[in-house]
Amino acid sequence: MASHRTSYFEQEIDEDLGEAEIDFAIGNYGQSDGVAYDEATHALISEAAVAAMQQQMAQQAAFTQIPDPVKRFIVHFHQAVKDNNLQEISVAYESGWNKLTEKYYPKTEWPEAEIIAPLVHDDQIFLILYRELYYRHVYSRLSPNIDDRFHSYENSCELFNYLLNSDGPVSLQLPDQWLWDIVDEFIYQFQSFCVWRLKVKTKTEEELLLLADGGQIWSCYSVLNVLYSLIQKSQINEYLAATKQGMSEEEVVETAGEYGSRPLYRMLGYFSLIGLLRVHVLLGDFTLALKVMDEVDISQKSAFTRITACHVTTYYYVGFCYLSLRRYADATRTFASILNLISRTRQYHTRSYQYDQINRTADRMYALLVVCHALSPSRLDDNVMNAVKERYGDQHAKMSRGDEGLTAFEELYLYACPKFISSNPPPYHEPEQLAAYVEDPPVDPALRHLSLFLSDVRFQTSVPVLRSFLKLYTSLDAAKLANFLDADEEELVQQMMVLKQCSREVSRAGAGSESGGLLDGETISTSDLDFTIDENMVHIVESTVGRRYGGWFIRNTEHAQRTFDYIRNSPLPISKPKPVENGVPAPAEPAAARAPSKVSWAKV
Amino acid sequence: MSPSSAQWVKPATRTELIDQLVDGVDRYNPSNLGLLEDYLYHQIREKEYDCLANLAILKLYQFNPDLYNPDVVINILVKALTAAPLPDFNLCVALLGERQNLPLLDNEPDALLPLLPHLQHLSSLLLTCRFPAFWATFYSDELAVLRDNYTVEVTGFDDSVREVVVRATRAAFVKIGRERLGRYLHLDGSNLDKYVSSLGWKIDPATGVVSIPPNPDNQIEGQVVRESIQFPQLSKIIAHAQA
Repeated sequence: MASHRTSYFEQEIDEDLGEAEIDFAIGNYGQSDGVAYDEATHALISEAAVAAMQQQMAQQAAFTQIPDPVKRFIVHFHQAVKDNNLQEISVAYESGWNKLTEKYYPKTEWPEAEIIAPLVHDDQIFLILYRELYYRHVYSRLSPNIDDRFHSYENSCELFNYLLNSDGPVSLQLPDQWLWDIVDEFIYQFQSFCVWRLKVKTKTEEELLLLADGGQIWSCYSVLNVLYSLIQKSQINEYLAATKQGMSEEEVVETAGEYGSRPLYRMLGYFSLIGLLRVHVLLGDFTLALKVMDEVDISQKSAFTRITACHVTTYYYVGFCYLSLRRYADATRTFASILNLISRTRQYHTRSYQYDQINRTADRMYALLVVCHALSPSRLDDNVMNAVKERYGDQHAKMSRGDEGLTAFEELYLYACPKFISSNPPPYHEPEQLAAYVEDPPVDPALRHLSLFLSDVRFQTSVPVLRSFLKLYTSLDAAKLANFLDADEEELVQQMMVLKQCSREVSRAGAGSESGGLLDGETISTSDLDFTIDENMVHIVESTVGRRYGGWFIRNTEHAQRTFDYIRNSPLPISKPKPVENGVPAPAEPAAARAPSKVSWAKV
Repeated sequence: MSPSSAQWVKPATRTELIDQLVDGVDRYNPSNLGLLEDYLYHQIREKEYDCLANLAILKLYQFNPDLYNPDVVINILVKALTAAPLPDFNLCVALLGERQNLPLLDNEPDALLPLLPHLQHLSSLLLTCRFPAFWATFYSDELAVLRDNYTVEVTGFDDSVREVVVRATRAAFVKIGRERLGRYLHLDGSNLDKYVSSLGWKIDPATGVVSIPPNPDNQIEGQVVRESIQFPQLSKIIAHAQA
């Protein structure tokens, strides 16, 4: 039985081999590995025959249950990682893994790392990477139990340990996208754990015990430690500063040091900066979040912005910081620019496996943009404004109606805010305190931040109405205005001062150059309406902005030129006889058509 | 309104040592807490202010609940109050909200709990420019605890609040009645006159109207913004015409 299965499997490998040789530029994948694999299988079989240990039997059984395409995938994946073959790793990572997940593991775990270990000759590094994917799958598709949560933490630590504490930089290479996902997922799991541990009531006895001596697992210090270590090791800040100063390439490499000059460390360092930005926001520290970004020039088109998910995340959290710092103009600019980019590049990332997530983040940013726009109206790009109205037109209209609008602010804030966390666990190690904690739990972090945000909103509720009245006049007696608004004159004058304050903001736009840190800025006027009070007379002026035609004409002229070029360069339309019948392709064609396409792994 | 955030990000009075703490990884080291707390009390005595350094203290409390000291937190909030209209007060509150109502180590009651709502109320009065109401609340019997135990130690607290008032009035007014200004500043008689002239503002003795010198915020000017197209925007089109 066993031998039969093996030979059957070998055949499959050969088949696969042939295919691989067609599809890949690199042809040496199969031979050596096929043989090596075969040996491993034999070793395993004889071992199992000799030592009939229960666990091994179980593992063996589990092993035999792994579908063959999955086995082939793992072997191939391992080889790609071993060869540092970035292109093939990318194919396996972005396409193979997801397709096999859909096919074989939509609702169950992938085989455990210990079970597939023989397939990869117990390559510990690969097994760590495999577990990284394994747990990510558990978190995204299933519901992780406490063991998963603890083990995924341990696995992340092992990975970072390997990267940071080996003798010198490691030679491993991974695609940028994966590196981003590693950092992103690490923080997601941290955040998920923090949310989960807050729910004391639903914990079982066993979970309570484990949590009581959970110690440093997923603690803020340990997470920050990883991120700061990656930043320091990679000397990413030095690298960014050197690039900013326009140093030559050799100088930049020299500044970055032996770790930072390698793409793996450089990218991890950069992604850790973005990770820190995110963690600080989750913990409610908005100034520190922007401070860690000091050396990052977010407007710059650099290699780092190629990872769309990273780019989008950066803008979301930076924009949110500005919103919390009441720098609405900066927040608006931040959201508008990334939303513009997303809508323009939509067609390119529809096929990306992260399309949904990017879309969700974009939708939340539209919500935050509405909030900013309501608090500090400004002129927005037409496309963005239309998209905003389409999504949140109702809320937008409500927001300008004083107290009534508060519910709209609340709704959008809760929908769009980051998943705030509490930095400390409930007192699991002290049963008495824990009981008190359950009796009188602290306010949920998101609600806490909501109430702070609403206090910011509330102090300017009178502003929209006041503004709309002032627009009608060039000068007006304060008492008369108070009369219109049914308010006492003194109260009105105080509201006018609030209005003035709301029309002034610190903004990066005022700083002229964009070179400073994200916290830097100068005070600017954000309103087209301005006034001054001369004792009891209010004088009002309004700035008018002429319509802008230039951009439209330039875009369309360029478009017309492109169209013209395209038509001019096209061959004259000569009708050819159809070479192919519908649905029945000519025999020569598929090979040619298939050659450049990437390999897909779900094929059986 | 301060024109630039540079002073706020890094006040000129901040020492090299504190700057290293605020900017570096050492800010997470609990053993540096003493340095930062000393710096806070230095700010209180010398009428200096450094928001980011104080946030670093709150950060250490956030991560190390054992170190939490309500008196320090109250002092930080008191200092942040007078930074209005900057968002400092809420930035501080955002970091300390997760106190878990746990007893303090020495089983003393947490002095912050009863005071926090009052401080938040004072903050909102300043942000909504309700200055007379602010003074009335601040000097009410209810807040004697705050005055006697905390603000009394803060050098020039009243003057710092007056600076908030000055920031708001100089932006909105070119002329303001003397009495109204007095109510905002919580000053009258010769004290008011002295304070006003120290600002370089002039009181007309006949009418009792205070003139505020022109500044970018109280000088208004209607602008017509016209589109201006920069040459580089047209570079593609021109290059194409040449081809």
